[in-house]
Amino acid sequence: MRLYTLLARNLAWYWRTNAAVLLGVATATGVLGGAALVGESVRASLRDLVLDRLGNTDSIITRPGFFRQDLAAGTPIIALEGVVDHVAGVEVYGMDTPQVLITPALAQELGAKPGDDILLRIPKPSSIPLESLQGRRDDAIRTIRLTVGQVRDLPSFSLRPQQGDVRAVYVPLARLQRDLNQPGRVNTILVDHASIDLKRHYTLADVGLRVRTLENPACLSLESDSALIGDAVAAAAQSLGFRTQPILTYLANAIRIRDRAIPYSVVTALDSELADDGITLNDWAARELGAQVGDPVTLEYYVWRSGALRTETAPFRVERIVPLVADPNFAPDYPGITESRNLRDWDPPFPLDMTRIRPADEQYWNRYRTTPKAFIRLARGRALWGTRFGSLTSIRIFPPSPDFAEALRTALDPAQAGLTVVPVRAQALEAARGATDFGEYFVYFSFFLMASALLLTGLFFKLGIEQRTREIGVLRSLGFSASRIRTLFLLEGAALAIAGALAGVGVALLYGALVLLGLRTWWFDAVGTRLLGLHASIPPLAIGAAAGVVTGLASVAWTLRGLRPVTPRALLAGDLGAAWWGRRFRLPILAVLLAAGSLFANQTAGFFFAGTFLLIAALLFQSAWLHAHNSPAVGGLVALGLRSVRYRPGRAVLCIALIASATFVIASLEAFRRDASPPGAFQLVADSELPIFQNIPPLEGVDFTPFRVHPGDDASCLNLYQPQNPRILAPPPRNPWPLLDSRLPGGAVPAIADANSLTYSLHRKLGEEFDLAGVRYRIVAALQDSVFQGELLISEENFLRLFPDSAGYRFFLIRTPPGKADEVARTLTAALSDYGFVVQPTAARLASFHKVENTYISTFRALGGLGLLLGTVGLAAVLMRNVLERRRELALLRAVGYRPRHLFTMVLAENVFLLLMGLATGAVCAALATAPAVFARGGHVPLASLAILLALVAAAGIASSSLATAAALRSPLLDALKSE
Amino acid sequence: MLEISGVTKQYPTPRGPLTVLSDVSLSLNRGEAAAIMGPSGSGKSTLLYIAGALEPPTAGTVTLGGVNPYTVPEKELAAFRNRSIGFVFQDHCLLPQCSVLENVLVPTLVAKDRAVYPARARDLLRQVGLEDRLDHRPAELSGGEKQRVALARALILRPNLLLCDEPTGNLDESSAEMVAALLLELHARQQTILIVVTHNPALAARFPSRYELRHATLHPAGA
Repeated sequence: MRLYTLLARNLAWYWRTNAAVLLGVATATGVLGGAALVGESVRASLRDLVLDRLGNTDSIITRPGFFRQDLAAGTPIIALEGVVDHVAGVEVYGMDTPQVLITPALAQELGAKPGDDILLRIPKPSSIPLESLQGRRDDAIRTIRLTVGQVRDLPSFSLRPQQGDVRAVYVPLARLQRDLNQPGRVNTILVDHASIDLKRHYTLADVGLRVRTLENPACLSLESDSALIGDAVAAAAQSLGFRTQPILTYLANAIRIRDRAIPYSVVTALDSELADDGITLNDWAARELGAQVGDPVTLEYYVWRSGALRTETAPFRVERIVPLVADPNFAPDYPGITESRNLRDWDPPFPLDMTRIRPADEQYWNRYRTTPKAFIRLARGRALWGTRFGSLTSIRIFPPSPDFAEALRTALDPAQAGLTVVPVRAQALEAARGATDFGEYFVYFSFFLMASALLLTGLFFKLGIEQRTREIGVLRSLGFSASRIRTLFLLEGAALAIAGALAGVGVALLYGALVLLGLRTWWFDAVGTRLLGLHASIPPLAIGAAAGVVTGLASVAWTLRGLRPVTPRALLAGDLGAAWWGRRFRLPILAVLLAAGSLFANQTAGFFFAGTFLLIAALLFQSAWLHAHNSPAVGGLVALGLRSVRYRPGRAVLCIALIASATFVIASLEAFRRDASPPGAFQLVADSELPIFQNIPPLEGVDFTPFRVHPGDDASCLNLYQPQNPRILAPPPRNPWPLLDSRLPGGAVPAIADANSLTYSLHRKLGEEFDLAGVRYRIVAALQDSVFQGELLISEENFLRLFPDSAGYRFFLIRTPPGKADEVARTLTAALSDYGFVVQPTAARLASFHKVENTYISTFRALGGLGLLLGTVGLAAVLMRNVLERRRELALLRAVGYRPRHLFTMVLAENVFLLLMGLATGAVCAALATAPAVFARGGHVPLASLAILLALVAAAGIASSSLATAAALRSPLLDALKSE
Repeated sequence: MLEISGVTKQYPTPRGPLTVLSDVSLSLNRGEAAAIMGPSGSGKSTLLYIAGALEPPTAGTVTLGGVNPYTVPEKELAAFRNRSIGFVFQDHCLLPQCSVLENVLVPTLVAKDRAVYPARARDLLRQVGLEDRLDHRPAELSGGEKQRVALARALILRPNLLLCDEPTGNLDESSAEMVAALLLELHARQQTILIVVTHNPALAARFPSRYELRHATLHPAGA
């Protein structure tokens, strides 16, 4: 006989109790390990999904415009977004494929099959910025008819991290290059290695620059495909030590002196000694205008500003008249203008009044082409005609050095000209860490479930020890010290905890698999994908198992603490005694203080900590009350039953704790449930796949608020991936958010985000500064329950500075006359379908966000339901145990004339009391813990659904208690008397 | 030698302390045996537990072999009880999960030189007539047999003091007779100090010294 023999005998003999303890530990382990496993599985699934879709791609070389497809070793593709038939937001890839392929998701949405024709609308490549005067905004879309060759099976290539199905069309590269008039050019190269020496391989042409050699005057001319040289390039070109002449050439609609005018003339701004309002006319223009030095001159010209073409004028004074020197190279190439043979053949993207063109003007054009008729100071020209795309049209280099082009290429960082290497794989892996840490949330909400399992573990262990108090007394009388007995029980507990934790690994796998199945099916709306799978990895399981052992053992140790002060004689009499309840009110008050402190902490953590401390405080108060000796007088069966609650106060408190924990989770989640939002000022919200300029049809009484959009990752709860570069929106200058225009110290860009997106997707706080793609932003305000859940809002001024290449408007808030929202939506959708214009009621957009939140709530409420199940099991176990221990007492009552229903009433009263105490405790703690969040959301609580839910929980609890009571009282009680 | 001197035991109650024992003294040498009788609630068991170092007195002293167990630390007290005192309770208090032999050996788990005890356990079980029931569980024994196992367990470590609390209280007449005879026989053989608390006059009559607890004080029986 050795100690471990006794240990083994104990484990085997009390196998029922031990199995219950083991199951409790296994449940706790399984819940924690499973929760961590869910988080890990979601991350791993997202990682697998995005890597699968990226294939071998490690990085991409990309640029807003097109460049040589052989710029670098890799796979050249054209990557765009477009509209296919009526479906917007389609990924379009020109790549090495013999036929047009579409993904199954797109095929399903289109109802398309191989052989069907589809219409693809994509942005037409334009070197000229669309929001410059020469931009062809009316011709911004290219429509291509394609025949579907095959519906491509997974995996579908995609550069966009998204958990949903890929909606993409894959077009043969050569076909797309031809249709876009970009032979041999692409906008993306996929490379399968991380280190790319882009600077070594790129040419100036790859970033849209060219250097021309001019003969008269003998110089080089640096020009851009966009007709405007960006400020960074200009600065680089002028810093190389060559003598340079920056030039800005513009088209004046008229050069006017008094009643005489020359139409459509080229005017060039140069560095010169002219006064700010001085103008030099060539002698042809002076003659046509009858100009003398000192005459006032008015230049009339178009500008594209704030989404509209405007005519502006600027006053000058003739300072010089110079001989005409033919030099048409001052002007850049403008498609539709510079190549025209006659002035009347011009086809510019702005209106011309051909009636103003005189024969003399045609003759000038025929002889001198774009030779400027007037010159002004460069600084003045920049002030009048400078744009965000640049304020020079060319730079001349004197003398024409053969070294200039290479010197500029070397000096220029290709990224400054928009040619960048994006580490898409690294970004995707980062994004796959997930916007929402499911593991964290499941651990949060499983915490109470785990606590319930541990309470149940402690309860069963306690019941087991109470069953063995006489055995403990015997051991004490035989010379076992209290510490040795505790060690013996701890060893038993350790064996059970380890076995339970090992069993819990299996439970964790099952729990994780079930939750993921739920996320793929019942809770699909929370994740929007059916591609999540269980990834069983060691760390979460090991964490769960270790936590199970530690917490299980702690639970056992907590139960054993009560043995210390009990005398062997008391133990022999079967009395475990009261442990430490003398410190009646100190601990509960401390817990209340901690709860109050937690309410001021971070909202999520504060909620959980406050809730936990409140529950602990409430339970400690109840424990102190139950341990007090001032029992109410027995005035009936119910009162007699309630007196029994004090029979084993510890058990009663554990039962209350179990029910309260589950109720807390269920009630607090219900408080967060979102109902339909009241309609705001804007009835409709619209997204446009392709930028819209001024093409919105005028509708009576309809007011549009257009937003500029820099495409990026969806930062709303609809995207599981961590947004690396969230979509950025800019409202028009007159908007209700003056904070966006504030000047912040340090130069950070003020930004506003939706409060939920800020907390749960972007993981930022109000006032926090952070960097995105090299730009520092600061969150200056957060919007509650807004339609802007997927993006950041910044001012238009900052937007245009940061994203000069973004053109047009792609997001709209629309205010409609009462009752006209549907009609307006239909009209706009029909009129702008080519742009992929999708109109949606604002309430529907908000409801889609709420649906995700509510699905999360349903998901976590299921955990509360499981907790309630554990609570009910605990309640039933205590009920059974109490009845068993009090069989003689109950038998006596039967002997003196109590009928079975009397006993039923007594026992049920005790259990219903515990159940209602648990419900009330959980509900009140939930109300207090959620109060700050509820008030922050406007104070609305779905009281009706909450009351129904609690009533259902109470009804289920009473029903199960009734069954357990009936089962417990079924055994022949009078035998208990006979056996004595 | 067991020396109980001026022992008083009081329990706190809402109405003030309840005196169960008042100035009780008793002295027994090695090989001596005494029976203590008294009505229910007279404090017989309390005196036994105080003598057995299971419950400290409110006042007075207890020494066994010159050692006052209530002055030694808890851990040493357990060891003292283990090697010096044997208990037999009215309810046998056997561990249901252990066999007969294992039950007898339970006290040895916390004793020194454990190797010698299995043979002694078998010998004791032979002496109480249970040598063929070594591997049986308590549930498979009769009340008298269980009490004989409890007796063997009490004697396994050769205690100086053997304390029996109503050892025949739950037994029928013949079983009680057998257990009583065994008790006295083993006591005589092992020369322990034996105190038996009992209601049973027949059992008490077999003891050379008999005492009675009345009104919290100890008197020689019949005095």
